Amino acid sequence: MKLLSSLGSKARSYSSRLLYALGFFYEVLKETGRFFRKSQVGYWVLRNQILFTGYEALGITAIMAIAIGAAVNVIGSSIQQQFGQSQLMYSMLIIVITRELGPLLTAFVITARSGTAIATELGTMVVHHEIEAYMAVGLNPISYLVVPRVIGVTVSIVILTVYFNLFGLLGSYVVAQFLNPTPTPIIEYMGKLLSILTVTDVLSGIMKALVFGMVVSVVSTYQGFSVNRASTEIPVAGIRAVGQSFILIIVTDVVVTLMQYA
Amino acid sequence: MPDATAATAAIELRDATAVSGEYEVFKRLSVAFPEGATTVILGSTGSGKSSLIKMAAGLLPPAEGVVLFRGQDMGRFGRKEELAFRAASGFVFQDAALWANTSIQDNVAIPLRVHQPKLNQAELAEKVRATLSRLGWTEGLALRPVDLSSGEQKLVSIARALVHDPSLVFMDDPGSSLDEDSMDKLYEVLSELKSRGKTVIITTNNSELAYRYADCLGVLKSGALLAFGRYEETVAKAESELDVTLARLRARGDRVGPKPSAGQAEAGSEMSQRSDV
Repeated sequence: MKLLSSLGSKARSYSSRLLYALGFFYEVLKETGRFFRKSQVGYWVLRNQILFTGYEALGITAIMAIAIGAAVNVIGSSIQQQFGQSQLMYSMLIIVITRELGPLLTAFVITARSGTAIATELGTMVVHHEIEAYMAVGLNPISYLVVPRVIGVTVSIVILTVYFNLFGLLGSYVVAQFLNPTPTPIIEYMGKLLSILTVTDVLSGIMKALVFGMVVSVVSTYQGFSVNRASTEIPVAGIRAVGQSFILIIVTDVVVTLMQYA
Repeated sequence: MPDATAATAAIELRDATAVSGEYEVFKRLSVAFPEGATTVILGSTGSGKSSLIKMAAGLLPPAEGVVLFRGQDMGRFGRKEELAFRAASGFVFQDAALWANTSIQDNVAIPLRVHQPKLNQAELAEKVRATLSRLGWTEGLALRPVDLSSGEQKLVSIARALVHDPSLVFMDDPGSSLDEDSMDKLYEVLSELKSRGKTVIITTNNSELAYRYADCLGVLKSGALLAFGRYEETVAKAESELDVTLARLRARGDRVGPKPSAGQAEAGSEMSQRSDV
């Protein structure tokens, strides 16, 4: 009986949290629709978010993309040569980098950098009553604090994904020059890549980036607002933002990939 | 003098219950704050003052019951009504609650940007400067809150609540963290608000402030409003459980006048002198 009561209580608590999270997501979508239709004091928050999430992550994204592109090239070349299928290298690069690793790894980087930052920043604002202060002057925290972050993170992830793809393919080319005794001219290399690259490949990556951007930003802002009053809750919110974002990114990645290939 | 029972209520709580997590701060509390009067709620630490004033200001939704603003249920406010209420009100937080990533200038300017968006930069800067100077603040507008002492932050918080000239001002323990000079500035501001007929709701444990400015007085203890009414009536009613709080006020004797309507600044000053006797 006690076990049943405990299970029931947990189920109620879980349902209540789920409903709250869905309500939060609905509010974010509603306010996002309104954001560009009216004069907003939130524009500078959006500008700062793009600057922090997008511009300041260019360096780490480039380094990672070059390294991943090189690794894909090295691993792919050695396997394909065993089967005499070296010409498939270009197709593999396009599929692995543009469709999968570009959006996925970019989202992971942004989760680690901006997801934690957003959750802890908002959590700190809750603890210091800054959110209540915004409400007291008539600013809706969702439209003023959440929406610019959601738009900023999503736009940044899309741009960084394209940027990752470019540097990933470039990294692959650089490694190919070291491995190949007869280096391929870059014009020829790019020509072969572009002849294989389709609009679907590009759109597939961008679509994933859009979904991942929404996931990271909504989860991080939600976790930031879940802080109640103690400063000890702030790092917990950061950890939860990262953990839940990673899980949801992987789940949505599988779902979107299945939709594309089914 | 406004009658606590007969005057139109600016804000009214009806059977309102406040909860904080699993803890019930107060239960089925009803109180009406009269329009145009200064109401002071006295209470010791942990009595539920902050929850009460935040609920009255629409910052803490009641778990049960309703909060009315000039007769309208605030829980049913749409975006437009909510914004109109915020334009008509200002809130001073107990711990200042300034926006840490924003300069003092911008902290005070944001209510103007929200409620008076047509102001140009020069007009906005002038209003910010004028409001801060009323509180004795004339420089350092580019500083961040972290650069200020807690008392200075409190003064900026008061300026932020008043900059858009609201008709209804909520002050949660406005005297905390303030030194004597700053308290004098606060008293000047309160005198001016009274003289202009603003509705002011203050929660505090400072009996001096209550003695000087309360038209209506309430005593909150452990989430229960033990007494509420016109200042003199409430003080006169001091019963055993209120002795500690109200006997102190009763011992001060008569006030010069609960509402300095004529020669306001002078009256406020005179009242101040009497309170020092």
